[in-house]
Amino acid sequence: MSTTATTDSAKPSAIRKMAPQELLRVEGITKVYDGSVKAVDNISLTVATGEIFALLGGSGCGKSTLLRMLAGFEKPTNGKIFLAGKDITDLPAYKRPINMMFQSYALFPHLSVWENIAFGLRRDDMAKGDIAERVESMLSLVQLDKFAKRKPHQLSGGQQQRVALARSLAKRPKLLLLDEPLGALDKKLREKTQLELVNIIEEVGVTCVLVTHDQEEAMTMASRIAVMSEGSFMQVGSPDEVYEMPNSRQVADFIGNVNIFDGIIEEDESDHVTIRCEECLHYVGHGISGNVGMSVGVALRPEKITLSKEQPQSEYNWCAGEVVEIVYFGAHTTYHLKLDSGKVIKAQELNNTRDLSCGLTWGDRAYAHWNDMAMVVLTY
Amino acid sequence: MTNIYNYLRNHIPSRQIVIGVPYLWFLLLAAIPILIVLKISMSEMESTSVSSMISWTQGWPTIKFNFASYIFLSTDPLYFETYLSSIKYALITTVICLAIGYPFAYFMARSPKHLQPMLLMLIMLPFWTSFLLRIYAWKTLMVNNGVINNVLMSLGVIDDPIAMMNTPFSLLVGMVYSYLPFMILPLYANLSKLDIRFLEAAADLGTSPFRTFWLVTIPLSKAGIIAGSMLVFIPAIGEYVIPELLGGPDTLMIGRVLWDEFFSNNDWPMASAVAVVMILLILLPMAIFNKYQSDQAEAKS
Repeated sequence: MSTTATTDSAKPSAIRKMAPQELLRVEGITKVYDGSVKAVDNISLTVATGEIFALLGGSGCGKSTLLRMLAGFEKPTNGKIFLAGKDITDLPAYKRPINMMFQSYALFPHLSVWENIAFGLRRDDMAKGDIAERVESMLSLVQLDKFAKRKPHQLSGGQQQRVALARSLAKRPKLLLLDEPLGALDKKLREKTQLELVNIIEEVGVTCVLVTHDQEEAMTMASRIAVMSEGSFMQVGSPDEVYEMPNSRQVADFIGNVNIFDGIIEEDESDHVTIRCEECLHYVGHGISGNVGMSVGVALRPEKITLSKEQPQSEYNWCAGEVVEIVYFGAHTTYHLKLDSGKVIKAQELNNTRDLSCGLTWGDRAYAHWNDMAMVVLTY
Repeated sequence: MTNIYNYLRNHIPSRQIVIGVPYLWFLLLAAIPILIVLKISMSEMESTSVSSMISWTQGWPTIKFNFASYIFLSTDPLYFETYLSSIKYALITTVICLAIGYPFAYFMARSPKHLQPMLLMLIMLPFWTSFLLRIYAWKTLMVNNGVINNVLMSLGVIDDPIAMMNTPFSLLVGMVYSYLPFMILPLYANLSKLDIRFLEAAADLGTSPFRTFWLVTIPLSKAGIIAGSMLVFIPAIGEYVIPELLGGPDTLMIGRVLWDEFFSNNDWPMASAVAVVMILLILLPMAIFNKYQSDQAEAKS
């Protein structure tokens, strides 16, 4: 291993495909407010170089407190933070090679765009010419060259967001923190900016930790997501892992829409499991196993359900109910089906033709069915 | 009923009335008296009527101004020196008030929320006692056989009493003491609104707390600094009571001269001229302040 390293460093210009290198390590970090309120409860995590890591959770879940501890604005009650192997737990914010893009940006109102971006550079011993050069390159990176002389209040929300990004990237931080980066923008602009932001971050190659309450934002931007609740991580994984393989009802419920059936394992075979619910019998064809008689939850995403007017022939994986609500979204339509048990489930149908495909209307009796790979069995 | 209500609503210029009352007040009690003072300053005697100042030549009215008072004002160095020393003491007072008041207001704004109302009340507490009484109290503290000298002598720090009374020192102590709340209050109002995120952003960008103070806090509280300085500087220029009670022969201030002209010399035109020039002196910083405020308002919109 060491010989490989020497050969590698002998030709520094060579582009190497390296195993992901750990940049940030947090060990058992805890923040207690007022002696008893645990905002962050014994969290450990590692973030690799180049990763975009999202902390996702509702308000008060501790995601912002965790981010502020990384930035150095809050002192952890317990635990340690390492950046590139160095313990930075006790380093004040202004000495950390970490920069943050603040929620609603916190651009200095008395300084121009140019001065805002140069603000951090002036604190380092950087030559005047180098500062100017860096600011110019940052301005062109976020395409604001023409706005250098403006004050922040003379810019639109989207432009302010880009200035904030440029300011936080100007010092070439090892780690970039994003606090609800798109929260202040309207929906249409947000979608556009999301991709822009990711492109810029990838262009610069900076490692990111981002905080958001918007699952879509986390999904589109992050390479890994930590779903947080009450100061703890509930699940950490890639966006598709967290969506398709939630490990608890809470995660399944928080990310996207989900129908959850309560049932009992009736049969546990090597290739399948059947779960008896009040409404239907689930036949789960993917590799899980459990004790017969164990009570579990079956999570089923609305888009994995197909609706029809005819009763399916199979004895598994279908249920019947009355259409009580139809919500048209344009690209898809969500049908609310009131099952005979009284439970209401949601089913999402893609509107891939211009006539509303399955022809269901209010009060119709409909059959919902799904395949044996569609559901996730939850034990919590 | 609603018809009557709507009729009144549409026909009573309520907004104009609400705005108009204070303006009427100012017109009657500020603008008109100032015009009268201006008129007196340009007449030969206090009793000169406006009509006698106007002479008719070939059907056109000509107003005859008498600038004698102003000419005298500019030739006698006493007045110039007095103005200068008034500005000097007002300026020193403002600077000292700012130096004491800014950190005070800053830490007050940063103190726990539940303590702030009490701290604010303590600032205003002196107003519960008469201004004159408080200035007199300083006199008893600072005279040669006053409290300060007695304590210092009994402690053996000094052998002979320090002459504090009737010096620039005693004047400034009185001025700073009296005007400090007027500096602290607008500064506190401004600093308590300062968004803590700006300070965090500065720290995040590698600025030490000390430099953040100079680079972010001070510029962002400029409006408060200007408001506080105006509130101290403007009344301090015309201050009469404090220099009269605590000042001495070498602390000439214009309020004193004004008093002498009116009541000792009984030279009303001269006194009015002194007053008019003083108003102009005060208007200048006011104009700067207003310009700054309107710039700010423009920047915000």
